[in-house]
Amino acid sequence: MELLKTAILKTLWRPTVNIVRTTYHADKSRLIRRYGYEEKIWNGGLMPRGEGKRLPIPEYRPANPWTERKALFGQNDYIDILGPGNLHPVKTLYSVPSWIRGVTGSEYHILLRKRKMWARTGTPLVRPTKWKEYEKRLAFLYRKLNRKTKTGRSST
Amino acid sequence: MSSNLLNVFKRLNITAATQIRLCSSVSNVVPDNREISVTKKEWKFPPQYTKPREVWIENLDTIEEKKLGLFELHPLVYATVPRIDLIHRNVEWQKKYRWVSWAHTKTRAEVRGGGRKPWPQKGLGRARHGSIRSPLWRGGGIVHGPRSGKTHFFMLPFDMRIHGLTSTLSAKFAQDDLHVVKDLELPTEEPAYIIDLIESRNWGPSVLLVDDTDYAPRNITVATDNLPHVNIMPVYGLNVYSMLKHDTLILTHSAAQKIEERLLIHLHSSITEQQMKFKLSQV
Repeated sequence: MELLKTAILKTLWRPTVNIVRTTYHADKSRLIRRYGYEEKIWNGGLMPRGEGKRLPIPEYRPANPWTERKALFGQNDYIDILGPGNLHPVKTLYSVPSWIRGVTGSEYHILLRKRKMWARTGTPLVRPTKWKEYEKRLAFLYRKLNRKTKTGRSST
Repeated sequence: MSSNLLNVFKRLNITAATQIRLCSSVSNVVPDNREISVTKKEWKFPPQYTKPREVWIENLDTIEEKKLGLFELHPLVYATVPRIDLIHRNVEWQKKYRWVSWAHTKTRAEVRGGGRKPWPQKGLGRARHGSIRSPLWRGGGIVHGPRSGKTHFFMLPFDMRIHGLTSTLSAKFAQDDLHVVKDLELPTEEPAYIIDLIESRNWGPSVLLVDDTDYAPRNITVATDNLPHVNIMPVYGLNVYSMLKHDTLILTHSAAQKIEERLLIHLHSSITEQQMKFKLSQV
């Protein structure tokens, strides 16, 4: 009987209920996650290089094209034509060491010539390790060229 | 019969040469100024098919240009067809024939250490290695790397070098970049004087002065000492690269004659000996 009464009452009388807010979302103190961590990846948009350290671009230092070496480059290269005719231009290549002046050839040829010309100097005694390396390399190249590779063009 | 024909041809040649000689305007020049000297040249190898080119002899002792005389240049040397391909090959040769690459890498035999086997062949679960200087290792030897003393030497054929010189001289002359002066005597040793002179005559900025002698006069050497783009060279030092590097080429009267003489001798003689393959024993 009681149950029926309250049911009828509930259907007939429905008061409007307002929920009174005591705390608001904006006022809440939120938990700070990863405190002290600085984001190192730039997520502010374009141009990641705008701030902080710039990329290392070397300072532009133009070379001087008129140093004495460059200004007089090639002097005496035609000395056999314009000179008296008794001097070859290879003889005037003072900037190149004499043992390699006017030499063409593979590493083996050049090393052979170098050893031949340096054998009479003090090199074998003064620089024994270097000298040993020349000889070692020559022996290696001799074996490689004569025993492991074919000479001349292929028959096909 | 054949000798008769030959004679006829020779005469024809001579008459043709003389006609061209007459065409040259040396005889027509009427010098207004008494100071201008016009000398008739005795050709050792007279120009046959083209007229000799005329050039003013200028002065260096005043800033404003004075014409001191008229002078003839041989067309075979100063007015040939400028073969740009030959000029390029000459410059390439000049760069390459002195070029030695000193880049060097060490092989596994030359890197220090590496004699001991780093760990046993078996039983460790690691890759097998015999030396810490193997090319697979960091700090090991380099395989097929550059080995020191790589030359790029070759000799450009003699005739190509002669024609490189004549082509460059002709190109310079045709472009009004070749001037002939009487001598290299300057009144002062002030660098400002030579700078003003180059500026007022529209030379340069870079100028190559060529003289016949080994020793240039004192004033010009002092004046150009601190001007890196004004250089003095003897005749035998002249080359294609320098002519192209400098904007203007200034020859003294005697230098122009010397260059012409040397080149004409080679152009009119047999050069089979110089054309032979280069041998190291010949130098």
